[in-house]
Amino acid sequence: MYYIGVDIGGTFTDCVLVDQLGNHRTAKALSTKDDPVSGVLSGLDRLAEAEGIDLPTLLARTTRFGHGTTIGTNAVLERQGGRIGLVATAGHRDALSMMRGAGRVAGRPIEQVFSVHGSRLPEPITVPGAVVEVHERIDASGTVVVALDTETAVKDITRLIAEHRLDSIAIALLWSFANARHEQALVEALTDAAPDVFVSSSAVVSPRLGEYERTVATVLNGYVGPVCSRYLGRLAERLAAAGLTEPMLVMQSSGGVLPAATAAATPLGTIDSGPAGGLTGVATLARAHGHDRVVATDMGGTSFDIGLVIDGKPVMAEDNVIDQYTYRLPRLDLRTVASGGGTLARFDEATGSLRVGPQSAGAQPGPACYGRGGTEPTVTDADVVLGLLRPEAFLGGRMPLDRDAAVEAMSRLAEQLGLSVEHTAAGILEINNMRAASLVRQQTLERGHDPREYVLYAYGGAGPVHAFGYAAESGVREVVIPLGDGASTLSAYGIASGDVVVYRELERGLLAPFEGERAEALAAAVAEVEAAARADLRWAGSDAGDVVVQVDALMRYREQLMHRLEIPVPLPAGPDTGARLLAGFDGEYVRRYGSGGTAMFESVEVFAFRARASVPAGVPTPEPVGGHTHPPETTDVYWPGSGWTATDVHHGAPAGSVCGPALIELSHTTIAVPPRALLVSGARNELRLQLPTPEESPR
Amino acid sequence: MNRADAAPAIAWDGVQRGYVPGETLHVPASMRLHTASSDEVDPVTFEVVRYSLMDINLEHGRTLQRLCVSPVTMITRDFQPSVLTQDGDLVFLGPYLQYFSTCQSLTIKWILENRAEDPGIEPGDMYVSNDPYVGAPHQPDTAVLAPVFIGDELFCWVSNVLHHSDVGGSVMGSFCVDATDMFLDPPAFPPFKLVSRGRVRPDLEQMFLRQSRVPTNVHMDLRAAISANLVAADKVTTLVERYGADVVKSVMNRVLDAGERTVVERLRRIPDGTWTHRLYAEAARTGDDATYAYRVRVRKTGEHLYVDNRGTDPQTGSINVTYAGFVGAFLAALTASLTADLAGAYGGVYRRVHFDLEPGTLSCADFPAAVSPAGMYTMETLISLSSTVIGKMLACAEPEIARLAIGPAHPAFYALIAGGATADGTPFIATNADNMIGSLAASPAGDGVDFGGHFWIPEGTASNIEELELLWPMLFLYRRALSSGADGAGRYRGGRGFREAAIPWTVPGLGAAVYVDESFPKVVGPFGANPGSMGHFRLKHGSDVRDSLAAGRVPLDFEEIDGAEAAIEAKGPALMVAADGVWEWTGANAPGFGDPLAREPERVAAEVAAGVLPDSDAARVYGVVLGSSGQVDGTATAGRRDELLAGRLMAATLPDGIETMPEDIPLHPLGGELAIVERDGEPAWFVTVSGRVLLAPISANFKDGCAVLERPVRQLGPEFATQEGRAGWTVRYREYLCPLTGRRIDTELVREGDQPLHDIVLATAEAPR
Repeated sequence: MYYIGVDIGGTFTDCVLVDQLGNHRTAKALSTKDDPVSGVLSGLDRLAEAEGIDLPTLLARTTRFGHGTTIGTNAVLERQGGRIGLVATAGHRDALSMMRGAGRVAGRPIEQVFSVHGSRLPEPITVPGAVVEVHERIDASGTVVVALDTETAVKDITRLIAEHRLDSIAIALLWSFANARHEQALVEALTDAAPDVFVSSSAVVSPRLGEYERTVATVLNGYVGPVCSRYLGRLAERLAAAGLTEPMLVMQSSGGVLPAATAAATPLGTIDSGPAGGLTGVATLARAHGHDRVVATDMGGTSFDIGLVIDGKPVMAEDNVIDQYTYRLPRLDLRTVASGGGTLARFDEATGSLRVGPQSAGAQPGPACYGRGGTEPTVTDADVVLGLLRPEAFLGGRMPLDRDAAVEAMSRLAEQLGLSVEHTAAGILEINNMRAASLVRQQTLERGHDPREYVLYAYGGAGPVHAFGYAAESGVREVVIPLGDGASTLSAYGIASGDVVVYRELERGLLAPFEGERAEALAAAVAEVEAAARADLRWAGSDAGDVVVQVDALMRYREQLMHRLEIPVPLPAGPDTGARLLAGFDGEYVRRYGSGGTAMFESVEVFAFRARASVPAGVPTPEPVGGHTHPPETTDVYWPGSGWTATDVHHGAPAGSVCGPALIELSHTTIAVPPRALLVSGARNELRLQLPTPEESPR
Repeated sequence: MNRADAAPAIAWDGVQRGYVPGETLHVPASMRLHTASSDEVDPVTFEVVRYSLMDINLEHGRTLQRLCVSPVTMITRDFQPSVLTQDGDLVFLGPYLQYFSTCQSLTIKWILENRAEDPGIEPGDMYVSNDPYVGAPHQPDTAVLAPVFIGDELFCWVSNVLHHSDVGGSVMGSFCVDATDMFLDPPAFPPFKLVSRGRVRPDLEQMFLRQSRVPTNVHMDLRAAISANLVAADKVTTLVERYGADVVKSVMNRVLDAGERTVVERLRRIPDGTWTHRLYAEAARTGDDATYAYRVRVRKTGEHLYVDNRGTDPQTGSINVTYAGFVGAFLAALTASLTADLAGAYGGVYRRVHFDLEPGTLSCADFPAAVSPAGMYTMETLISLSSTVIGKMLACAEPEIARLAIGPAHPAFYALIAGGATADGTPFIATNADNMIGSLAASPAGDGVDFGGHFWIPEGTASNIEELELLWPMLFLYRRALSSGADGAGRYRGGRGFREAAIPWTVPGLGAAVYVDESFPKVVGPFGANPGSMGHFRLKHGSDVRDSLAAGRVPLDFEEIDGAEAAIEAKGPALMVAADGVWEWTGANAPGFGDPLAREPERVAAEVAAGVLPDSDAARVYGVVLGSSGQVDGTATAGRRDELLAGRLMAATLPDGIETMPEDIPLHPLGGELAIVERDGEPAWFVTVSGRVLLAPISANFKDGCAVLERPVRQLGPEFATQEGRAGWTVRYREYLCPLTGRRIDTELVREGDQPLHDIVLATAEAPR
C-alpha cells in the first residue's frame, strides 16, 4: 500500500512514495515543460525501479496519489490560458483594468516601488474588448435594486462568446457575495446556452468584499480553467491506463488536496500551490515530532519562502498577488524574499558596501560555480568559497562545481570591497541570512510571538546548509531538517500526505454584543458556513471517513476595515459562542498590540466566517531508520566567526549525534553544523540541529 | 534645504513666516545629541544595518495601515513613516505620501530649536504638530514625532504623518475652501508634547480631538500613530544594542552621504542653466472666479540646485502653502524623477537643493494665510509645476539623465468630500480618494500609464466601490475609464483617468462639501503635447435615476439623466443633495509628450480598435484617417496631417525671416521638435527638428523664432470648453510652431495680460551663470 506525491517544479519533477510503515523513497526526473505528463511518468518509473517493481504494480498498489502542478501558475505568467471574457454589473466593467490604481506596483519588490520609470500595468488576462455589462444591481445590504433580465443578459453574453470565440466566461457582479441570485441565474442559464464554455462565478470562487479582487479571482479561475481541465484529464487518463485505480488528488494553495475533478472545476486553488506542499509536509511532521510552533523555511535557487505552523495548523492568509494582480483566496500564508542560492551579490558604489539581492542568477546562467557562464558571485558561490559546499560532493557528486570560478567571481567583488575573499563570502551569507531572518522575525513578531519559542524547519535545496545562520539570526535555537535527505523533496512529501480540504467563506457583518437576535444570527451563520463546507466535501466525493470541520471567525474592530484577526469558533455554536469569540478577540488583540488601543474602539464585529472541512489523509509518519557509522572525512571550512577550521564530513545521516563543526553530505543536500552546535538524528529520520546559545556563540 | 541667502529683516521662525532652519541648528547645550560615529564600519555590517533601518521603517508603515481606521489612511495610504537623524535629517521614508518627509524633518528641527529647553525632549516623549508654519503641508496632516534616546543622548527620531479625516475648520473634512485667513481654517497646533515619558497627556489629547467633527476616528488614528512610533523606536533601540550607537549612526550618515553622491553624479551630467514654468489656479476661495499664477524657477550651477518662486502671485484666499509645502512639493518631484532608485533614502539629495522663496506669496505664505485646502489643490499644483520644470531641465541633460523625466503630475487631487448622517444617525465624513486610480503623464520614454496612480504616493490605492458603499450611504452608478481624446493627447499620450457617479442611498440626502470643477486645463504637455483633462464635478437635482433603476436600467451617461443641473463654481459652497440628486465627478487624463500630430498612426489605430480612443477622434486629434476595417489609410493620413499643419501656420503669426540648417549638421534633440546645434563644441542655437529652422541663439528665448498661434484654450477642443464668466473663459493657449512645418515645439497657457515665459536659459560662455 503506497501513498505517492508528485511535484512538478521548474527543473525537476520530484516523486515521493510513502509505504504503510511511513518509510519514504524519492525519485527525481527532469521536468518536461512541453508535456509535463511524460516527466511525471518517467519520475514514477524511477520510483518503481527504486522500489524494485514495475510501474503498473506500483500504481496498482497506490491507495492515494497526490499531485502538485504549476500548470495554472505558468498559464498566468506566460499568458497561455483560455480565451476568457468578463460579465460585470452595468457601470463597473472597468474595475478590472483600473486595478484600484495600484496595479503598477502591486507585488513588486520594494526597491522598485518608488520608481515610475519603466513601470507598467500587467498585460490583460481577458481577451481585449471581451467584456459585457448587464443591467442589474444589488446594494450593500444584499437587496436587489435593479432586477436582472436574465434572458437579455444571456443573449448579450452568448453574442460576446461568439464574437470573441471565448472558451471561458467570468461572472463578477457587485455584491454577489451578499446575494448570489443574479450570478446563479446567469450560471444556470449559460449551462444550457453555452454548455462548452467554462463558467466561473465570483460568488463561488471568492465570495468576499471588494469587487476588484473578487473579479481578479474569478477571471484567473476561468483563465486557467480550460488549461487545467485538459491537463488534469490527460494525466488522470494516462495514470489510469498505467494502472492507477484511485482518483488523483491535486494540491491546492490552501495546503489541502482535492480530487482532480473538483480541482479542475475550481482551478484557482492550483495557482501558486507549488510552495504549499512543503508547508503542508511540515505541518504533518511537526505534529508527529510534537512541535507546536514551527517556522517553516524553504530556501531554493531564487527565493526564500517562510510559513508558520501554530498548534499544528499552518497559518492562513487571503491576499495573493500574481503578476501584479491581487486576489483573495484562503491560502497558506507563505511569504517570500529574494534570498536563495542563486541570489547575486554586488558592490554598491554609492555607499561602498556589499549588496545581496534581490537580483538572482536564476537557473541560467546560475551561480559562477555551476560553470554555465555565470560570472557574478552568488550565495552558492559563497558556500563553495567557504567550503560549506564541496565541489566534488554537490548533489551526491552528480553535479561537480567549479570552485575556481566561484573564487574568481568572489575575488573581483572582494577587491572592490577591500576585503579578503573569505570575508566577502562570509559577508554575503551574513547579509543573506539577515534578509531571511528579517522575514522570520516580521512574521512571528507581527503575531505577537517571540521567535525564540519556535522550532525552525529547514528544507529546499539550499535550506539545510544555511539554516544555522538564519536561524541564529532570527533568535531560533532549534533547527529541524525534516526527513533528513527527504528535505529537498519535502513538497512532494506534503502532497502525498496532505489532507483533503475544502474551504468555504461567508461574508456576513455581525456587530457585538452577540446577544438575543444577534446571538442567533451568529449561530445561524456558523451553521450555514459549516454545512456549506460539508456539502462541498460531499460534492467532491470525499466525505467518507472522519470529516473534521473547523470554523474561524474573521474579526476586527468595526472601524479597522483593513485589519483582521482569525478567532477559532468553538463548535457546535451555542449561546455562549459570541462571548467566547469576544474573549478570544480581546486576548489576541492585546497580545499583538498591547492593551492601550482596545479601550477607544466602539465595537467589535465579525465580518466573515471561514470553514475548513477536511478528511485526514492518514498517511503514516516515518519510522526510525538507523544512521550510518562510517568514519568521517575531514575538510577545511571557513566558519563565520571562527575562521578556517578542520571540519568532519559525514556521508549520509549519522547514527546518534555529531558535534560541530561538521558537514553532513546527503545525496540531495548538505547540512552545515557550525562549531559548538550539536546535530542529533531524530526518531523519524529528521535531523535536529541545536545551535549554541548566544553567550557561547562567537558573535 | 537651507536658504541660499536669508533676508535679514524677516524672521523665518515658524510663527509669522514659514520656519526655515539655519545652516546650524540652535539647540540648547543641555540637550545632548548623539553625534559620535564610527569610522570603521565594514561593508557587510553597513549593509546589515542599512537594510534593518529600511525594514524598520517599512514595518512602521504596515503597522500604521493595520491600526488606522480612516479609509483615507488605511486604504489610500495617505501617510508616511520616517527615520531621521538626531537633528532631523531624513534617513528613510516609505513608499507612501512623499512630501510628508519634509514636514517631519522641519518639525523636528523646530522642536530642537524651540522646545528642547522647555518643556524639554526626554526619553518616552512624543510631540504632535499640524502647524503649517512649522512644517505641516496643511492642518489635517498631523505629525507625531518620537525622539529615540540611547542613554541620555538623543540618538535619532522616528515619526509619522497621517492625514486625519477632520481636524476642524469651517468645512467638513477640513479642506476649508471658503477660508480667507487662518482663523477660518482648522486650528494649527505648534508642536506640543502629547506623550510625556511614555504617558499620553489626556488634557492635550482631548484638546486636539475637541476640534474634530469625527473625534472617535481621529482618536483611533492618533493612537495608531503613537503605537506605530513605539514599534519603530523599539526596533531602533534593539538595533543599537546589537551593533552600537556609533556604528548605527555611521550607517545613517553614510546613507545620507550616498544619496548626496548620487545626486551630484547626476547633476554633473546636466548643463548649467535656468528653467522656469508657470501654472495657473482658479478661484482663491468660494465665490471667487479669478485666475492666479504660481511660478517655479530652478537654476542649476555646478553640483547644486537653487529654487525660487519669483513671479508667484501674492498670498490670498485659501490657495496658499507655506515654505514647508513648497519645499515638500519640489523635493517629491525631484526625487521621483532624478533619484527614485534610492528608494526613499533621499536625505542626502536634499542637501544639494537650496530654496530662496519670496514670502507673502501663494507658494510661501506668511501668517495668517489660510492653507487648509492645500492637500487637494496647491500641493498638487506645486508638484505638477515642479515636475514640469525638472522635466525641462532634464531634457537638456545627457541622454541617460534626460530619460529620467517623468512628466507633470495632476495639478489638483480630484476628489470629493461629502458628509451627513448614515441611516442610523451616525455622522460620517466621506473623503473620496478614488482618484488614487490616477494616471501617469507621458514621458520622453513613451505613453503614460493608464490608471497608474501618482508618482508622489507610490503605493496609493483607491477603494473598491463595495468598500465605499459599506462605509457611506451612497450607491455608485458607475466608475469608468475616461476615453482618450484631445485631453492628454500627444506624440506619446498621457495615461487615462476615470469618472464616477453616485446617488445618496438609504438616507434622505447628504452634503457635498468639497469638490473640484475646473474651467480651464492647468497642465500643458511638455514639448507641444495637449493639456491634460479638466477635472469636473456635476450635480443634478430632481433626477430620474431612481425611476431608471426601478425600470431595470442603471444610468451610465450623465448627459442622459433627466434632472436640473446645478451651476457649479470652481470652489463653491457645500451643496445639498437630496435623495433624488445625482452627482458625477472625474479624475483626469494626464498630459502627453510631444505634438499629437507626430504620434505613430498605427498606435492611434490600435487604440481605436481597443475602444480606448473614439473613432472620430483619430482624425480630429491625431490627423489619422482610418479605413473601413480600422486600418491606417497612409495617404489620407499624410494628407490630413499636412492640412492640419498648414492650418496651424495659416492662423499663426510667423517670425521675420526663416533661416534653416543644412542637413549634414548634427542636432542634439531636447524633446519633441526642439533641438540644439553646437558650434565649436558649445551649444549655439535652438533649432527645430522637422524643419531644421534656426529659432534663436542659445542665450535668447527660442520662442522668439517660432510661429505663434494663440487662441482661447476653450477653443482647442470640446474637452476644454467652459461657460462665459468663469475663469477659464479668458485663459489663452499659445502654440509655438516650427515656422516651416507647423509642428508644435511647445505650448503655454497664459492669463490675460501676462507675458509668455522665457523658460529655458542655458548658461553659455558669453553669458555666465
